[in-house]
Amino acid sequence: MPKVAVIKFPGTNADLDVVWVLRNVSGLEARSIWYADFNVKGWDAVVIPGGFSYGDWLRAGAIAARSDVISELIKALDNGTPILGICNGFQILTEAGLLPGALLPNESCRFICRWVKVVFTNPRGPWLKLASDGLIVDMPIAHGEGRYYVESTSYQEKISKLPTIKYYGYNPNGSLYDIAGIGSEDGLVVGLMPHPERASEPELTPRKLSCGGRVIWLSIAKSLKEGW
Amino acid sequence: MTLSSDELSEIRSILGREPTDAELLMFEAQWSEHCSYKSSRHYLKLLPSEGVDVLIGPGRDAAAVRVFRDFAVVLKIESHNHPSAVDPYNGASTGVGGVVRDILTLGAKPIALLDLLFFGNPRDKHANWLIKGVVRGISDYGNRIGVPVVSGMVWFDESYNKYPLVNVACIGIVEISKIINGVPEDGDYIVIIGNTTGRDGILGSSFASKPLDLQEDSSYLPAIQVGNPLIEKLIIDFLVEAAELRILKHVKDLGGGGLATAIAELTSNYGLGAYILLERLHTREPDLRPEEMLVSESQERMLLVVSREDFRKVEELLSKYNLQYSVAGYLDRSGLIKVYYNGKLVACIPADKLARPQVRFRSVEIPEHYIKLHNNDNLVLPEVKNLNEVMLKLLSSPNIASKEWIYSQYDYEVGVRTVVKPGFGDAAVLRLIDVDGRVGIAVKGDGNPRYVFLNPFRGAANAVAECYRNLISVGSKPIAIVDELNAGNPEKPTHYWYFTEMVKGISWCASELKLPVVGGKVSFYNEDLSRGVMVKPVATIVGVGVIDDIAKSLTFELKREGNYVLVVGTTYPELGGSEYLHSCLGLELGEVPLPRPSTEVFNGEYISKLVELGYVEAVHDIDIGGLAVAIAEMCITGMNGARLDLRRLPSRGCSRVEELLFSETQARYLVEVKRDVVDSVLELATHYGVDVGILGEVGGDSLVLTWGNSKIINVSLDELREAYMNSLESLMSW
Repeated sequence: MPKVAVIKFPGTNADLDVVWVLRNVSGLEARSIWYADFNVKGWDAVVIPGGFSYGDWLRAGAIAARSDVISELIKALDNGTPILGICNGFQILTEAGLLPGALLPNESCRFICRWVKVVFTNPRGPWLKLASDGLIVDMPIAHGEGRYYVESTSYQEKISKLPTIKYYGYNPNGSLYDIAGIGSEDGLVVGLMPHPERASEPELTPRKLSCGGRVIWLSIAKSLKEGW
Repeated sequence: MTLSSDELSEIRSILGREPTDAELLMFEAQWSEHCSYKSSRHYLKLLPSEGVDVLIGPGRDAAAVRVFRDFAVVLKIESHNHPSAVDPYNGASTGVGGVVRDILTLGAKPIALLDLLFFGNPRDKHANWLIKGVVRGISDYGNRIGVPVVSGMVWFDESYNKYPLVNVACIGIVEISKIINGVPEDGDYIVIIGNTTGRDGILGSSFASKPLDLQEDSSYLPAIQVGNPLIEKLIIDFLVEAAELRILKHVKDLGGGGLATAIAELTSNYGLGAYILLERLHTREPDLRPEEMLVSESQERMLLVVSREDFRKVEELLSKYNLQYSVAGYLDRSGLIKVYYNGKLVACIPADKLARPQVRFRSVEIPEHYIKLHNNDNLVLPEVKNLNEVMLKLLSSPNIASKEWIYSQYDYEVGVRTVVKPGFGDAAVLRLIDVDGRVGIAVKGDGNPRYVFLNPFRGAANAVAECYRNLISVGSKPIAIVDELNAGNPEKPTHYWYFTEMVKGISWCASELKLPVVGGKVSFYNEDLSRGVMVKPVATIVGVGVIDDIAKSLTFELKREGNYVLVVGTTYPELGGSEYLHSCLGLELGEVPLPRPSTEVFNGEYISKLVELGYVEAVHDIDIGGLAVAIAEMCITGMNGARLDLRRLPSRGCSRVEELLFSETQARYLVEVKRDVVDSVLELATHYGVDVGILGEVGGDSLVLTWGNSKIINVSLDELREAYMNSLESLMSW
């Protein structure tokens, strides 16, 4: 069975949440791996989960993005291993330059925990295989530094063509172009601020809202078994 | 110096000589009210603490109650009132840190936090600053350690303008076989882990904000430079893994009283002594004096008792998490706490004498205003013309209005356990993925300072009853509570009276409801010295219930048009101390609602049966603001209107419509029932001996309350929502 590594830095707090969902929703093997013990060999996909790596010291994700884990991740990418960054994981991936843009403090200057609607555009690659273009779903956010920023020229030239996940209807943090998440050209690397692992089971989903994270967990399961 | 001259001479006779500086500070810390319970201990004995499932009751850092056969829920409540009044941000955040470490002492994984906050008027500049600081402190700390704040309560009262009350509770889960509960023995190491010991919180009186450590030793860089919640998070991960590996014998938090208190409690509980070498401690400042090391309350530190055989394994795990540690000494059989610093004996005290000062019996006097206020003699209700306005005014009272502005700053979903989330249910429901993901627990915190102020016995008893109802409403079976008694100065008889009455009220109601009080805390000296008054005392209760199938847990959102709305329980004319009198008429008087524990049990068991049979789609307990506010909350969250006829409300002795609408009679619920089962629901009511009334049905886009055909209240959902959802935010952004 395909195996997924969920990387735990000092201060990561959603590693076991992601392991739970990978096992119970994706039906994959998954383990939380302490950052110092992480070696890319033997893993079919990697998730960097949410939390406050190194206490968000300096900037969210800044220190983890300069750890040895990143060179392992680059090796993983060379091998074509899919990588997903959720919340702090997304911040780490942008800090490390594996995804474009930056995440700044929310416009309200407050931590915000709430459910939002997001829409998938140009979905492709292993994480978004099953999402259709224009699919609108619900997921919760929980962050203090989630305001996506990118230069407008870079957006026009490059980012508008990439796979993106955008806030739909309500932009909770002032992100430019309503960007909640973004993928690499081929969709091998995806990062997003909302928490798909908290929106994958009906038990945790509020009345009248959808289990919006499920499509990501089902996509990776299918991709790892059948290719993408 | 808080030691009295009597206590000083007692210390001299214990030691048979003059105490050293270090000894004096150790006695001062340990014999403080906070650590020793010297004024409260003999009253706290009244509280019922036993039950077949209670594994560890009061006396330890946290309590443990058996759930789902092989697991234990671990719970603890704490207050951080004094520090939060001075430095709201750090006071509140270190309160969170402390209570989480208490849960860790048993090896449990902390899975939920609850905050019970008592704030001043948000329109008052200072109070507003305190509110923002406290909420931000809890948010920054709780979010960073990955423990969701899922529930609690917030109250606003002018007496808290300069002096808020900040109570915080934590819930943990552990497999019973992995609870760290070994017996410390002669020769075991005493290991201090976590943050460095510094000069902060010496005797709990120094509140300097804590600068980041910039140690030069780069091997500790990640653990040190990033501040306190990160160390706490590493301690959590370390302890949960250490419990799994069973390499720790015993654990204590270094909280109030610091090292002195932790060692005094540890040694006296097991008839042991300790040999401590202070120079071994990892410290923040090089010039820290030995007596400062003993009573420093630097955060994020814990004491481990480790057998010599397991020490290597413990060291390995500590270095995995980059946690600093020092072997500060070992346990022996002497019964003495001997403290050395660079070869010099700085303290030598019999452990049992240090740990337990003599009980102080305090005198009690009923305050005059109690006699004046707590009856209904002065209660004359004016004519009310526009009840729609009253309704909106009540919904926008910050005590009632949505607390979204606060809870949206907490990550209440981390852990993928939060089934019933803040704002939608009477309690939070967490599924236990640690067991099988199907079973769960409900948690809730309650307290009503206005009730306690007007009648502390009833006020405290009603807090227990309300917690019980909230746990019932979401579909759980209440199993245990913990309490926090926030009172004034025990040396003042009129203040101390509130404390004694609150203990009696909790004790009586908890016994009647068969709820063991498995732990608790007392906070005295809650006075606003700038105004020379006692802040309103309050007993807060945090309860836990168990749920066999989380798919059956319930929110209070009205779900479906056409369903019936039923009331369970009889309404009495009990407007004394109500939110209606306070926020609409500006009155704070009257006899508060009578606690009705036996009716609570009947009605509670009836509701539980309805939930079990799947007959109800929403349940809401009727609390402050009465029936009118309860139905409005169900409409607002469910985004459904309702039409109810008050003529069908079972009531006794009510002569005014306000009594039907806003009375805060205990033991009542509103339930939403599917049409096709309503006959069975009524039949069961007869069987259980419970008063119910079919008030009306769900539907439309407004809330209409009638008396027969005449409309009493008719407000659109939009207006209700606007008043309820936006009031707190606009008060705060003032």
